[in-house]
Amino acid sequence: MGFLSKTGSNKPLGQLEDKPIPLKWEALAPGMELAPGEYTLDSDLVSRYIRAVTGEAGKNCNPEFVPPLAIAAYAMTGLGSALELPAGTIHAAQEVDFLRPVPVGSVIKSHGRVAQKVERGKLRMLTIELIAESEGGGQVLSGRATLILPA
Amino acid sequence: MKLSGIHPGDSLPEVKKVITQDDINLYAEASGDYNPIHVDEAFAAQTPLGGTIAHGMLVLGYMSDMLTCAFGRHWLSAGKLAVRFKTPARPKDTITISGKINAADHKEGASQISCSVEARNQRGEAIITGEATVKY
Repeated sequence: MGFLSKTGSNKPLGQLEDKPIPLKWEALAPGMELAPGEYTLDSDLVSRYIRAVTGEAGKNCNPEFVPPLAIAAYAMTGLGSALELPAGTIHAAQEVDFLRPVPVGSVIKSHGRVAQKVERGKLRMLTIELIAESEGGGQVLSGRATLILPA
Repeated sequence: MKLSGIHPGDSLPEVKKVITQDDINLYAEASGDYNPIHVDEAFAAQTPLGGTIAHGMLVLGYMSDMLTCAFGRHWLSAGKLAVRFKTPARPKDTITISGKINAADHKEGASQISCSVEARNQRGEAIITGEATVKY
């Protein structure tokens, strides 16, 4: 994750000044706030995302605004570093509301909260609520991600 | 799409993608999501999935790209997506992303367009199903 452009540090995505200890499943409870993340959606990062999603068509793309799902993807990755998710965790559902266009170069802060934790037999499911705000303070995205953790 | 040209029953322009392991690896690099279920073929082969799968957010990225093409800046400023990941997309799958306009509601100078959206593989299996709405 070292390629990500951080604001004022070389810390991995999703971590502020003090590196959070990733929370284990056992420690999670509904309502729990996760360590916030902060990242800069600079042109290099956005270009990488666009190339990954659109392939050759995006090679020379120089957009004014960040693809909205990129904001969600980076926020999710950031929150992932606040959680100790086992290898093999998969995405079951996603809701996302895009609230305003985000110019390339924006600094985004993401916040997450455990909305639901379900453990039934071998099934372990986690729903995280997600908010992303631009540096100016305006909310740019909200969403919910549901993850299924391997037994 | 201009609002005047949007009608219930209309289809959105389809997008087709053939997913490769290279695409998945590139997305892992771009997003920072190196979950081995996506990038470690030896690990993934030993899981119930039997092999690597694409990131759900990658396929959803294709879908959001289709919606950006259809609705332009309206999608960036007032788009909403709610989906379920039904079946994993795997390397060599051909994914077809499609959408259909279900409703166009106009009230007091504002409009809301509702679409059903889906991604299917070459066998017709649903990879993602859900709804998208966008305000004009």
